[in-house]
Parts: sequence; C-alpha cells; structure tokens
Amino acid sequence: MKVILIIPAYNEALNIEKTIKDVTENTDYDYVVVNDCSSDDTLEVCQKNHFNVLSLPVNYGLTSVVQLGMKYAKKNDYDIIVQFDGDGQHQAKYVKDLVKQIEDGSCDIAIGSRFVTKKKPKSMRMLGSGLLTSIIKLTTGKTIKDPTSGMRAYNRKAIDEFIRNKSLTPEPDTLVYMMKKGINIKEVQVEMSEREFGESYLKPLKSMEYMMNMFLSIIFIRAITRKNI
Amino acid sequence: MSITLRIILFVFSLISFGLCVMKIKQSKLKMNNSIIWMLGSFLLILMSIFTDVVGWISSLLGFMAPVNFVFFIIITFLLIEVFLNNMAISNLNEKVKDLDHYIAIKEKEEEDREKEKNNK
Repeated sequence: MKVILIIPAYNEALNIEKTIKDVTENTDYDYVVVNDCSSDDTLEVCQKNHFNVLSLPVNYGLTSVVQLGMKYAKKNDYDIIVQFDGDGQHQAKYVKDLVKQIEDGSCDIAIGSRFVTKKKPKSMRMLGSGLLTSIIKLTTGKTIKDPTSGMRAYNRKAIDEFIRNKSLTPEPDTLVYMMKKGINIKEVQVEMSEREFGESYLKPLKSMEYMMNMFLSIIFIRAITRKNI
Repeated sequence: MSITLRIILFVFSLISFGLCVMKIKQSKLKMNNSIIWMLGSFLLILMSIFTDVVGWISSLLGFMAPVNFVFFIIITFLLIEVFLNNMAISNLNEKVKDLDHYIAIKEKEEEDREKEKNNK
C-alpha cells in the first residue's frame, strides 16, 4: 500500500532537516512537509535541501495543515496517511509499527501512544491527558491512553471521514467522532523525545483554552454523532 | 415613554435608515446584509411614533415599563445580528482556507512540472 507521511511545520527551520533525515533514513515511505506560512526560513531550508514541500500562503493552524495534507494524499492516490510532527519529537522508526497495524486490517486509525505498556508520569500535562482519557472512556466506552499524541496513521476509510466533515481537527475530540462513526482505533507503543528547538503549537498558556475546547467539543458535539447508514 | 426618549429613538433610527440607503447606493453594503438594519430602524421609528401600542404590548407581556420593552427589542435584535455576523465570519474563514489550500496545491503542481522539464 502507498504510504505518505504528512509533516506539519510551523517555524521549524532548526528541526526540519533532522526530522526529514530521520524519515528518509529509517523508512522508505513518501513524505510531504506542509509549511504553514512560517515566519522563519523553514521554507528556504526545505527548498535548499529539495524536500517535498507544500507551502501555504496564509497561516491557518494545524487543522488546516492536516486537511491540506489529506487533500494532497487523496489527489495522489495514497492508501495510508501518517501524521508526523516536524519538531523532532517523533521517531520515524516507529512509523512502520503503525502502518503494519493498518495493513493487517486490525484497525482504521493507529495512534502512536506513549503509554500502552508504560505508565504515565505525573505532571500537569499528563493530568490533562488523563482527564481526556476518562472523558473519552465516558462517552465512547473505549480507552485511549494517549489521546493527545500527534503521531497517527489513517487508512482510506478514516481519511474519507476526515475529508467529509470540515469541522474535524487533528485533536482528541475527533477520535470520539471517529469511534462514534464506527471506526476502529488502536494504540501502538512508541517513544517520543523532547523537542530541541523552538516552540510547540500548544503553548502552556493556551493549554487551558485547549482543554476547555476539547471538553465542550467532546461532550456536546462529538458525543452525539450518528453512525453512517 | 418620555418625550426625550421618543425623540432620540426617532432621530437615531431615521439616521440609521438613511445611512443604510446611502451605503447601498455607494455599493459599500450588500442589499441582503442591510435589509435587517433597514427593518430594525423602521421598527424603531414605528415604536417611537406609536407609543400607545408599545405600552399596551409591554403591559401585556408583563414588563415594568414600556421603555424596558423597547430596550429588550433592541438587545434581542443586536444579539441576533452578532450571531449572524459570527456565522458569516466562520463561513468566510472556511472559504479563505479553501483558497489557501488551492494555492498551495497549484504551486506544488507547477513546481513539479518545472522539475520534470529540467530533468528531461
């Protein structure tokens, strides 16, 4: 099956080279960097190294980036899309495990999870993650141990669902929506490293707003999703 | 309703009505966006003229004073308008995003084509 890695990059000039090196050395999948109108020279770095890059003229955030990646993959007839962060947190060697799960047909979405076999460390961030896990359990009855993980693989069924509904974000509330639509989600143990340079999409000050959004969305919007007939 | 409030209401609604008409003529406002403002200001004009009717309705609905009823109408009107505006903004946002994606994909296609040319 044809596999493509979508690598969102916003102001990742310092990380992107290393990430792509990791991807090309450890996997033989295609990739596309989606530059979300970075204000640093991310685009220049990509062009200099002849990376496969899509560049957005207007900054719209992670959701838009993933949607564009999906459109691109659909257009070029890929079977599996892997969302892979450009900040060096994700390690390409684990992508194979995600893809294998989907190729086996055991699930439609595979999540690269940090806590399948390992325990969650205790921190504010993990408290938020734990809250999300329990609210997902409450609304769908299923356990997702690492709902905020940004390393996900989607098959065609999941991609179609994603493209059909424009309000979907690459966030935990979408997992609830997908499960309600009857899509199988499986978690695969991976390791993630700490980011070396730059800031993440989720700044600490914004995480309160993020949690509020997720809770409201999961409880009032995604929990009441009807299955396709 | 006091006579001052009546005059204020009347004058302001006349001004907003006139403004609407003027802006449409200068084509700075779309007809379907302005229709709600024209209706709103027309309603205010009516309310400042026929105060007896306003008083009758407000007592029927249990308002303490007719002026409260007038404010209630204005606030409701504004809330609806803000909500509609918000919806329109979301809609525009979505359209600009689609264009954003379209441009990115087109540029990519062009680049790929040029690369192929250079390779040949």
